[in-house]
Amino acid sequence: MRHPRTIALLLFLTTAAASAAPGRSPDFTRDILPILSDHCFQCHGPDARNGRKGDLRLDDETDAKRERADGHRVIAAGSPEASELWARLSTDDPEERMPPAKLSRELTTAQRDLIRRWLEDGARWGKHWAFAPVTRPESGDGSRHPIDTLIERRLTGEGIAPNPLADRETLVRRLSLDLTGLPPTPEDTKMFLLDSSPGAWERLVDRTLRKPSFGERMAWDWLEAARYADSNGYQGDNERTMWPWRDWVVKAFNENLPYDQFTIWQLAGDLLPEASREQVLATAFNRNHMINGEGGRIAEENRVDYVMDMTETMGTVWLGLTLNCCRCHDHKFDPLTQKEYYQFTAFFNQTPVTGSGGSPQTAPVQDWSSPELDARLARETEAFHAVTKELEQLEARSWPPGTEALKALSGPALAALAKKPGSRSREDWTTLGVQLGNANPDWARVQGRWTTQRDARDGANSAIPRVMVMEDLKTLRATHLLDHGLYDQPRDEVKAGVPAALPPLADGETANRLALAKWLVRRDHPLTARVTVNRIWQMFFGVGLVKTAEDFGLQSEPPPQPEVLDWLAAELMDSGWNLKGLIRTIVTSETYRRSSVIASVEIHERDPENRLLARGARFRLPSWMIRDQALAASGLLRPLNGGPAVNGYQPPGVWEEATFGNKKYSLSSGEDLHRRSLYTFWRRIVGPTLFFDSAKRQVCQVKPLRTNTPMHALTVLNDVTYVEAARALAQRILLTEPTDGARFALAADLLWARSVTPGETAIWQRALDRAGAMFAADITAAEQLLAQGTSPRDPTLDPRQHAVWTTLCLTLLNLDETLTKE
Amino acid sequence: MKPAWQLLRDDAPSPIREAQLAVNRRQFFGKSATGLGIAALSGLLGRESGAAPHHPARAKRVIYLFQNGGPTHVDLFDYKPELTRLHGQPVPKEYLGGKRFSTMTGDPSGKLMLQPVEPFHQHGSSGAWVSELMPHLGAVADDLCFVKSLHTDAVNHAPAISFMLSGAQLPGRPALGAWLNYGLGSPNEDLPGYVVMTSVSKGTTCGQIFYDFYWGSGFLPSRFQGSKFRGSRDPVLYLSNPEGISAPLRRGMLDDLAELNQAKFATSGDPEILTRIAQYELAYRMQSSVPELTDLSSEPEHVLEMYGPQVREPGTFAYNCLMARRLVERGVPFVQCMHAGWDQHNSLTTELYTQCRDTDQPSAALIKDLKMRGLLDETLVIWGGEFGRTPFIQGNLENRPRWGRDHHPYAFTVWMAGGGVKPGISYGASDDLGFNAVDRPVHVHDFQATILHLLGIDHERLTYRFQGRYFRLTDVHGHVVRDLLA
Repeated sequence: MRHPRTIALLLFLTTAAASAAPGRSPDFTRDILPILSDHCFQCHGPDARNGRKGDLRLDDETDAKRERADGHRVIAAGSPEASELWARLSTDDPEERMPPAKLSRELTTAQRDLIRRWLEDGARWGKHWAFAPVTRPESGDGSRHPIDTLIERRLTGEGIAPNPLADRETLVRRLSLDLTGLPPTPEDTKMFLLDSSPGAWERLVDRTLRKPSFGERMAWDWLEAARYADSNGYQGDNERTMWPWRDWVVKAFNENLPYDQFTIWQLAGDLLPEASREQVLATAFNRNHMINGEGGRIAEENRVDYVMDMTETMGTVWLGLTLNCCRCHDHKFDPLTQKEYYQFTAFFNQTPVTGSGGSPQTAPVQDWSSPELDARLARETEAFHAVTKELEQLEARSWPPGTEALKALSGPALAALAKKPGSRSREDWTTLGVQLGNANPDWARVQGRWTTQRDARDGANSAIPRVMVMEDLKTLRATHLLDHGLYDQPRDEVKAGVPAALPPLADGETANRLALAKWLVRRDHPLTARVTVNRIWQMFFGVGLVKTAEDFGLQSEPPPQPEVLDWLAAELMDSGWNLKGLIRTIVTSETYRRSSVIASVEIHERDPENRLLARGARFRLPSWMIRDQALAASGLLRPLNGGPAVNGYQPPGVWEEATFGNKKYSLSSGEDLHRRSLYTFWRRIVGPTLFFDSAKRQVCQVKPLRTNTPMHALTVLNDVTYVEAARALAQRILLTEPTDGARFALAADLLWARSVTPGETAIWQRALDRAGAMFAADITAAEQLLAQGTSPRDPTLDPRQHAVWTTLCLTLLNLDETLTKE
Repeated sequence: MKPAWQLLRDDAPSPIREAQLAVNRRQFFGKSATGLGIAALSGLLGRESGAAPHHPARAKRVIYLFQNGGPTHVDLFDYKPELTRLHGQPVPKEYLGGKRFSTMTGDPSGKLMLQPVEPFHQHGSSGAWVSELMPHLGAVADDLCFVKSLHTDAVNHAPAISFMLSGAQLPGRPALGAWLNYGLGSPNEDLPGYVVMTSVSKGTTCGQIFYDFYWGSGFLPSRFQGSKFRGSRDPVLYLSNPEGISAPLRRGMLDDLAELNQAKFATSGDPEILTRIAQYELAYRMQSSVPELTDLSSEPEHVLEMYGPQVREPGTFAYNCLMARRLVERGVPFVQCMHAGWDQHNSLTTELYTQCRDTDQPSAALIKDLKMRGLLDETLVIWGGEFGRTPFIQGNLENRPRWGRDHHPYAFTVWMAGGGVKPGISYGASDDLGFNAVDRPVHVHDFQATILHLLGIDHERLTYRFQGRYFRLTDVHGHVVRDLLA
């Protein structure tokens, strides 16, 4: 270990407080508040009921600075010596010293020094940065891109020179993957590389933003945040039909629905005046939570779970706050009380959902039918009425009142016959089947048609997607603070409202979900825009400007480039919440276009995570994008947008094992196997196995996982998805180009939008030769390899040659360069 | 070859240094680039055998039987007759004066004391008190080293588990297994050096999620993170080569991949590429090592029986315990078996019994099995959760079927066995109601320092520089509990 003081100073210099170097006054928000939060708030913070010590709040300026009973002050502005705070931090007396040793929260020397200087400078107070209103930082005279001006201001201060721009081939692939989740087509690449006039990059950006695949790419992350899945979760895990909402999300991104509307529609579209069908559909966002259909569960307990999930999802997605801490107690760090948490739940506590049953179509639902489905239901219903009439007439004709035929029937049969066919029970039908059917073959025939037609009508009915949406009860449900978050421990009643630390709801509005949604997108709301631009940034740079995308509270990491965050947040709001505009702004910066090469060991050591953004981002693609890329490059990808989810390739038995045999996996067929990953059926208790590091789709998740394990290698090496893609890519290459050289060039173009180097093609050639020798000796192996996957193979291709190229293509699909966005 | 931590100890890791290491190793193994195969690439994993620790190691392997949810110390291993005597009475005032209690519970005054749900008995020559709920562990008590004075800083599951396993409450620090993977490497080059398995008792209502950061590598290179084996017949999916791709062909493809990836690393400098190469190589070796690992046909019937009826069912704690033995037998140095469902807020008289039934026999069998094979001496087995449970009741005393206890971080019990700890002892003590650790308290960081010490590592010297600071498992704390060492 180095000397502790050096360590502390190093930490301090490279992270939170680099700008509080000696000579510059410590800033309360940036430098002091994180220390107080981390080291003091546990006992001297906002949580009033549980464990506050010494009648002292260090999160509250008035309380921290007031004169105490014996005349002393904890914080005496301008004088560390007169401040009990400093005395307690600096004393050697273990009885007096703060924080108490047993809490293991000791301050470093540098932290203590900061506090001392802050006290000397007058102990000026401030708000946690994320709770302060968004003001647009000064960003230069407009001659440079504002993002670059702000980023480079910090880099210059650190004495770091940014990387040069990446080459154009790298950039065209980077942009295409970021904005569409697909590699650029050779035509895209060519058009850009040949365009040497000014504005070529901006034109490429605009072309890319117009592609329908843009909405599909953006939707993935939104679906993870919205905990979207195609089943309920829990035991049983019944299938649901929420995909019309998923398709709406894609459409909304493609049509660039302003983000404030995107917010209002999803949280409260049903409450808009004369809400359109789409606006109501959008509210399915809230209903994507898991549903517990276990018998024996208490309905109210389920219902409360759902309300909390809706509340906490809103908290993470828009506020970037960990509201769930407040289920049981006041937040330990953030200015959120337990009462305020339950005030939030009051907004969501008003749906007619009771929590019972667990139906994946629990009302309120929206029929999301099509003319075809409606027509089918009408047709089947009409046919059913016809056959019902036929049956009734036959029965009246064959067993008229008073006849011998009627008297021959038993009592139960008579009773059953007296009922209308639609009202007869299963037992009724059994009885009638024996007594009437045996006597009258015509009856048996018509009755058989009646049953078939009834099932056809029911089938047509249940084939109509019914999407769970939002609706409020006419009479509002009372909401209570729940002790320990327990549904059966209600305490004081609370009214819908927002935390005191944030701006108030608009005057005169009913405090309902619509008011909440409008509140979130107020221009003076400090969180929504920041949290949103951070997630967008994270999609392209791998890490957000605030690393903790899910938490902007006091325990979050202070952003190393706070001005960029605020500038973008202001830009988003002032542009009318124009998301495509925001993305265009980000990707047209030089910061976005910088080379990702790690050129300097020294800079890499100082900033291993590239938080200062001296270079471009380089990180492994999300697993769904790796699949989509393979399908696109091979030509297998079928651009069929929307509709019910499909079951892609998956090893046998995975669903069956996880559900004790209740759910059987049936592989989709034909083109459905080659649709974008977005349309893959997501079973909540056991997600698709080929997607690694994905969100679990159980609760809201906004931060990507990125690990590197042998399991990932095995997936891309051995899953039939990739073997088939390699076969199709090989076929595409062999059929398009006549020579090996041209084929190599095409492979590189399709996978990386670049040309080949002699060094790599020498290795590829060696790979072809090696595989060629092996398959020459074993044609069976070649045929086995080519038999993988259900897509047809061109039989005119020599199987040996095709197999050889398949192995090379499989290798190329597994290259780090393929798996990674450069 | 030195392990990774020694090579990097005095200098920060850097892509260029890693590249040099890679080149050096390639030369060391005398391979040309085209022959860059198993041996050379294993060097990149930092898992060479014969690593030199700081001092002679007493344990070479660890099996951590992590019990998620906070097992109730006062019902299982920490015998407090006073609880029975005071059953139903309010917490005595003298226990409250000056003491801190779970903030989850709030003010504990007026809470009613709750007796252990089952009687305790003494076992073996050590005379250890163990609840009737754990008869099999009672029978091996003379091999166990109980620590009854553990205490922790966190009161909620995820932060407390993270604290126990990584030394920090927030995600982002390397887990213990990742530190060891980094510091010591692994003698087995065919299996991950750090394997994780999870289980949940059937029919329990436990909703606890096994977060990946419980076995994450934090800021250490991601090759040091735990590899999670699935709880099903195929612990690892996609393990077999596609039909038509023979083993030699696959080997050739991987050689090509490694060479092309090396070239990429040379131009991009991204250390993640080295991890990728290493993981592809490991994947290749796992294709033969994993089927061999999970083939139980060589296990004698009496051994299977010892682990109990669930041992043949993948995904159960019993199966995972047997797998843990098979893993350490093959040299895998760190195995983490996590069993969820110990969160008895209202299920002390119901689900606690299921938990004990499912874990007691396999845990004891693992001790016996390791001992029979002579592996226990160098294998440290740890059993324990993230905190204990309150000596007072959560719920209503009249409603026995819903008795529960809340989270309790101020005193709880873990046990260890083998690997250089004293067998048949009980270290430290909570007060006579199990409230606070009063006799020789052991903080989580002390516990971690002791585990590292047993493995031959000085917890203050196993460090990694990140963002300008040297980090370690025990932060700036921790003292080795020498009285635990055999």
